[in-house]
Amino acid sequence: MQSWFIHVGEMFQRAFLKEDRWKLYLGGLGVTLKVAFFAAILGVILGTVAALMKLSVKKNGKPSVRSIIATIYIDIIRGTPSVVQLLIMWFIIMKNCRNGVLVAVLSFGINSGAYVAEIIRAGILAVDQGQTEAGRSLGLSQAQTMMYIVIPQAIKNVLPPIGNEFIVLLKETAIVGYVSLSDLTRVANQVSSRTYEAFMPLIGAAVIYFVIIKILSILLSKLERRLRKSDRR
Amino acid sequence: MKKSLVTLLAISMCAVMLAGCGAPKETAAADTANDTAAAADTTQTADEDTDQAAEAGSAVLADGVLTVGTNAEFPPFEYVGDDGEPDGFDMALIKAVGDKMGVEVKIENMEFASLVSSIGNKIDVAIAGMTVTDERKEVVDFSDSYYDAVQYVIVPADSSIATADDLVGKTIGVQLGTTGDFLAQDIEGSTVSSYNKAVDAVNDLLNGRSDLVIVDKNPAEVFAGMYPDDVIALDGAQFGFEVENYAIAMPKGDAELANAINQAIKDLKADGTFDKLVAEYIEGSN
Repeated sequence: MQSWFIHVGEMFQRAFLKEDRWKLYLGGLGVTLKVAFFAAILGVILGTVAALMKLSVKKNGKPSVRSIIATIYIDIIRGTPSVVQLLIMWFIIMKNCRNGVLVAVLSFGINSGAYVAEIIRAGILAVDQGQTEAGRSLGLSQAQTMMYIVIPQAIKNVLPPIGNEFIVLLKETAIVGYVSLSDLTRVANQVSSRTYEAFMPLIGAAVIYFVIIKILSILLSKLERRLRKSDRR
Repeated sequence: MKKSLVTLLAISMCAVMLAGCGAPKETAAADTANDTAAAADTTQTADEDTDQAAEAGSAVLADGVLTVGTNAEFPPFEYVGDDGEPDGFDMALIKAVGDKMGVEVKIENMEFASLVSSIGNKIDVAIAGMTVTDERKEVVDFSDSYYDAVQYVIVPADSSIATADDLVGKTIGVQLGTTGDFLAQDIEGSTVSSYNKAVDAVNDLLNGRSDLVIVDKNPAEVFAGMYPDDVIALDGAQFGFEVENYAIAMPKGDAELANAINQAIKDLKADGTFDKLVAEYIEGSN
């Protein structure tokens, strides 16, 4: 038993302390967070635009051109694996771009946007039709009704699934190692390729991911509670 | 009513999941008791590794199947052939070794970086143009070397890189966990971009994302042959890289297996099969 502890200690030493390897993990975590953060922002912007486009209808009730474009975007992105999207972005579309983080942010942002679009669309549709009617009959324009009446209520609706999407996005960035970015997962792989021990680097990476996502979900539920305050009256 | 229905559903789902997990485990346990025992505990020490490997030693040969790990991304030593199966010099060599030893060879294609840590649990031995290094020797044993190689440097055709000093501070593309990777990390001020496949590193060299790629001689010549106008392959000797020996990686302390493999390699060299394979796969590919 004692030798087991000593052994685990040695593995820990090799995986994290030797040659200052913990700095590698920190750098990897930085890349992971940078990619996830900016991709999330891009995803929300793209998703909101795509959701509004997809909801727009012609006067005769048929889907508009804008809505068809949004549907195609969502279909293509949801219909292909994000690894393939990342590789296409890296090796084909932006093959001369030397800023790896930028390529990853674009790839993941565009990917996330498709999922966020459907989440936001669901949130908007969940707001009672009467709210729109009330806004319109009070003399607000279609856009104003959307902006000041529907979307604020929709945001509250979409918070749980959008939090979910952020968490998925953060974990999905683990594939950027495919294109030579040294994110947290890649760093763990790099270290285990030096020490020939997979245990500590992988468990270490898993713990770091878990802690980051736990913090994220605590913040999200705080925000959710805050927005629900007005419900309890 | 609703609640009881939900409970029932949950219980039945759990039951299905348990049954689903249980079934394959039982059958698997029967034929690969050794493998599961080794794989179950990933925390094992190098020392424990030795003990287990020694016990499994006879079993590696006894079950009549030699499971060989490789990374089929390293032409001409290993690559995925037209039929979708790993092919190349190493594959032909290990199959010939298997014939000599009287065992069936089963190839497992995996990431290069996970080969060494998979020996003794997921695979029996690894052949992947793997260089004998002191670091690797701490974890696995190596057979007698079967090929001498040197790291090559691939640079764009118009590059001025020519000496070891020119490598300082450059962005270097490598395949993760290869000797090229380790060499690159030791170069002063270098930024190392590690890829899963050497061909991805070469692709990004062509895209201008890196200044050079360090990779073994033979694949380097293959890549330089693929893009003759864009890149050139330079001999690592002019950068002071040392000659390396390729060998088969084996579980630590398994003398019986090591003897059998070394004897087979010796026999193949003696009866001319080895030279024939070199001519067919390595010299024929250039």
